[in-house]
Amino acid sequence: MTVISNNNIAEAIYLAGKEKSHTEQPVFFKNVVEFLARKKLLSKAPDILARLDKIINDDEGKIVAKVSSVEKMNEATKKEITHSLKERYGSKTVILEENLNEKLIGGYKIEVNDEVIDLSVKNRMKQLQEFLTTTG
Amino acid sequence: MSTNHIVENLKKEIEGFSAQIKAEKIGKVLEVFDGIAKVSGLSDVKSSEMVTFSGGETGVVLNLEEDAIGVIILEDFSNIKEGDEVKATGRILQIPVSDNILGRVVNALGVPVDGKGAIKADRAYPIEKVAPGVVTRQGVDKPMATGLKVIDAIIPIGRGQRELIIGDRQTGKTAIAIDTILNQKGQEMICVYVSIGQKDSKLRKIEARLEEGGAMKYTVIVSAGASEPAPLSYIAPYAGVSIAEYFMDQGKDVLVIYDDLSKHAVAYREISLLLRRPPGREAYPGDVFYLHSRLLERACRRNEKYGGGSITALPIIETQAGDISAYIPTNVISITDGQIFLETDLFYKGIRPAVNVGFSVSRVGSAAQIKAMKKVAGTLKLDLAQFRELEAFAQFGSDLDENTKRQLERGKRAVEVLKQKQYSPQKFEKQIVTLYALTKGYMDDVPVEKIKEFEEKLADYAERNAKKFFKEILEQQMWTDAGEAELKKTIEEFKKNFK
Repeated sequence: MTVISNNNIAEAIYLAGKEKSHTEQPVFFKNVVEFLARKKLLSKAPDILARLDKIINDDEGKIVAKVSSVEKMNEATKKEITHSLKERYGSKTVILEENLNEKLIGGYKIEVNDEVIDLSVKNRMKQLQEFLTTTG
Repeated sequence: MSTNHIVENLKKEIEGFSAQIKAEKIGKVLEVFDGIAKVSGLSDVKSSEMVTFSGGETGVVLNLEEDAIGVIILEDFSNIKEGDEVKATGRILQIPVSDNILGRVVNALGVPVDGKGAIKADRAYPIEKVAPGVVTRQGVDKPMATGLKVIDAIIPIGRGQRELIIGDRQTGKTAIAIDTILNQKGQEMICVYVSIGQKDSKLRKIEARLEEGGAMKYTVIVSAGASEPAPLSYIAPYAGVSIAEYFMDQGKDVLVIYDDLSKHAVAYREISLLLRRPPGREAYPGDVFYLHSRLLERACRRNEKYGGGSITALPIIETQAGDISAYIPTNVISITDGQIFLETDLFYKGIRPAVNVGFSVSRVGSAAQIKAMKKVAGTLKLDLAQFRELEAFAQFGSDLDENTKRQLERGKRAVEVLKQKQYSPQKFEKQIVTLYALTKGYMDDVPVEKIKEFEEKLADYAERNAKKFFKEILEQQMWTDAGEAELKKTIEEFKKNFK
């Protein structure tokens, strides 16, 4: 027996709704909500929506990058990060979600999907600690 | 060393460091319970890959599901919370190994727990490894002396063999294992004792006993105690065999004892049920056979071309009320190359080690027995089998013919000779003298209660007086007519003076 996961449902919704025109969309969304209610899946709706978001982003070549830093970033840094992320993931658009985190001490931490590029001072100090304790 | 010097050194070290920038895969903890974590993300993680939690705890991936993975946590999990970051390491779980590990007690992750400080590791060995293939192997033909007459004579074990020790609680299973370790002194053998789910007090006692016998010099103890979480019990035997492989790769012979695999199976059942794998017979998961077969298959004797060395495995299984047809005992019996079956009845009759000779076998052992031992012990098993049959029968009748009487008397003496005190393993030269005297009928006129005394004194006397015979056996492991004649003469001389 195969279990239908939230991911399967999100995919199905995406495929079904992809071709719909503007006028058809309200009806379509109503159907989706009714379907979820009928199958008692409304409690899982947030997860399904998050997955739907990801599927749409993947399909449109869009990535959402969460960037944490100690201070607000200036435009030049943002541009640089966007540029290198575009190259790395081969995507058309990069959406930066900024948030501030003082615990990083300095530098940046970039999260894309389940990948993390940690350029923070905190991480470097941790690496230095490991280096000194293991080789010393 | 002055402070300046230290600072200078530190400066130099720090200069040699360059921070690595790399993209890491990170997952998030969805839920934690009973040493298990469900983690989302980590889409590229492999099965049995090592992961680290944000607090530095290590875990091993066991379940790969569509949108989450099941991780067993190998350390204290009380600080892991929902939402914590989990990093994949890209490595299969490894333990640090080096020659310095000898004489130490380590936990299932190779971390010392005996309070004697850190062990400097040379290398890291993966815990899971595919067993050596057919081309790298060689037949088992070198004996692994246990120092116990009943085993060395009737159920001989060879280097590279897997021999199961099975019996109820309190029948002396661990005692056989410990005696075997004690007997490896001077035999160029490294011993690894894996304690799974045992009481810490018992382990401490074993360690003290091995220390006293001078056996810790060539022994490593891997401990996953009863108070530690099930995941550690689950990986402990694999850690033990990895340590053994490290030594085997140096061409050495290694003996690994798993004490005991029934508790290992129970620990694995616990993990499997928590991971929601479907239960099968006796609630064990479907792959419990593979659990033990892949472990015991790593015992081997490697041929010279591939570096030599061997791993002999002595797994221990505890039965409930002598039931060897339960799930785990039958599994392990079918995997191993024979079993030593211990019985409560025999134990309480005073026959210790309480080996049931009829049920015990060694499927490859006789090829590994030295010639002299084969010669003297050849008829012993038959003698004992006949004795048991007659014993039951003789309880009813009183009129027995000469031949039957003789067999009965011989059997009684054989049983007496095969008894042996704990922690007193015997060298095989002495065993041969005793067994020769028994099978050739020199003990038939010695009263049963005096057999032990006769045996001890004879062995010492022969060692002093039949030097040529001892030399032959020891150095060439040969059995010659001249040697036999000398031994015969010595025994006859001894008997004249024995009262």
